[in-house]
Amino acid sequence: MTEALFGGINYVAAKKGLDACVERQRASAANIANLETPGYRRVHVPREFQQSLREAVRRQDPASLAGLRPGVAVDGSAVARTPDGNTVNLTDELMALQENGVEHSLHVQLINGRMSRLRAAISGRMS
Amino acid sequence: MNLIPGATSATQGLQAEQLRMEVISQNIANARTTRTSSGGPYQRQAVRFSEALGEALSGVDATRGDRQAMPRLEILPDTRPPVRVHQPGHPDADGEGFVSYPAISVHEEMADLVSASRTYEANLAVIRNGRALAQQALSIGRRA
Amino acid sequence: MSPISPATPAIVGTEWTRPILPKVANPSVGSDLEGIAASGSPQTYARFGDVLTDLIRQTDQAQRVSGETTGALLAGQNVPVHQAMIAGEEASVSFQLMLEVRNRLLEGYQELMRMQV
Repeated sequence: MTEALFGGINYVAAKKGLDACVERQRASAANIANLETPGYRRVHVPREFQQSLREAVRRQDPASLAGLRPGVAVDGSAVARTPDGNTVNLTDELMALQENGVEHSLHVQLINGRMSRLRAAISGRMS
Repeated sequence: MNLIPGATSATQGLQAEQLRMEVISQNIANARTTRTSSGGPYQRQAVRFSEALGEALSGVDATRGDRQAMPRLEILPDTRPPVRVHQPGHPDADGEGFVSYPAISVHEEMADLVSASRTYEANLAVIRNGRALAQQALSIGRRA
Repeated sequence: MSPISPATPAIVGTEWTRPILPKVANPSVGSDLEGIAASGSPQTYARFGDVLTDLIRQTDQAQRVSGETTGALLAGQNVPVHQAMIAGEEASVSFQLMLEVRNRLLEGYQELMRMQV
């Protein structure tokens, strides 16, 4: 019966989204810390994760989300900003940080909303 | 506990930049030091970030904890020779009346300082953001 | 009419299935109702008692997962904060559901007992 409570596609996607936000934060942190490390190649959460997540939401398929795990990997498409091969762009990283914060907030709101609606449904009372 | 995501990397970054700023400040303070306890003019200190560790980077994996590439800083004596200025009356003038000054350009040091501060602030922003994420996560389920 | 014991409720032998709500016209919008309806095929229970047993078991499991996650977090393991918080909330909501079901059943039973035969 609890699958009915917590198995909805939006809720499951929000939880996965939160996991990804935390990973993205760690990736940005590593990139900014190594802003001046020679030869450092920036890392990120691969675009495939986001695409798979969106695809699963489009198809309304929570089951396919179960195996999806966001990870951090080297960004192969990043270009070198300096002669020593460092591929970190501070502006891009800071922007990513800001966007990530908002996305994190979004997922938390979705989850909180879900919880409060469930509680309201169970108790027959709002808040 | 690693409640703030990215704090480990950011802390390393902060330490590195702080060290760099200390070295720069020392260079600026000693830009005109013509005689040190070891004799001779002050020798400029340069900082250098170590090469990125290849394997550690490609192995960044969420499930293995906070294993991320850490910036490493080395302090090296600068190899630039001292600048010789003709000042016969100076107490540290050599036989030919030349005084050796450290090869330090205050403008260059200041530019480095600005760059270091900027990077320092960026690392602080990472920690601030991470903290906001953690506090937001803690608010899950909180009922007014 | 013989007194009804709590172990065998009057509605014995009924198939208890989850209600299937009509699908929302625009699936890309997504709603909570749809979430409840669309999660897999409806589960059937032979006895009403099984519904309760299942609910208790799932609540117990949710509590256990929450305890483990929080414990791992406190022990310094690499658990993201949000996972511990969400596990706690899910356990709490499950428990609340179980409690409410229990209360309603009790009310229903008591009302039944009050009935004049």
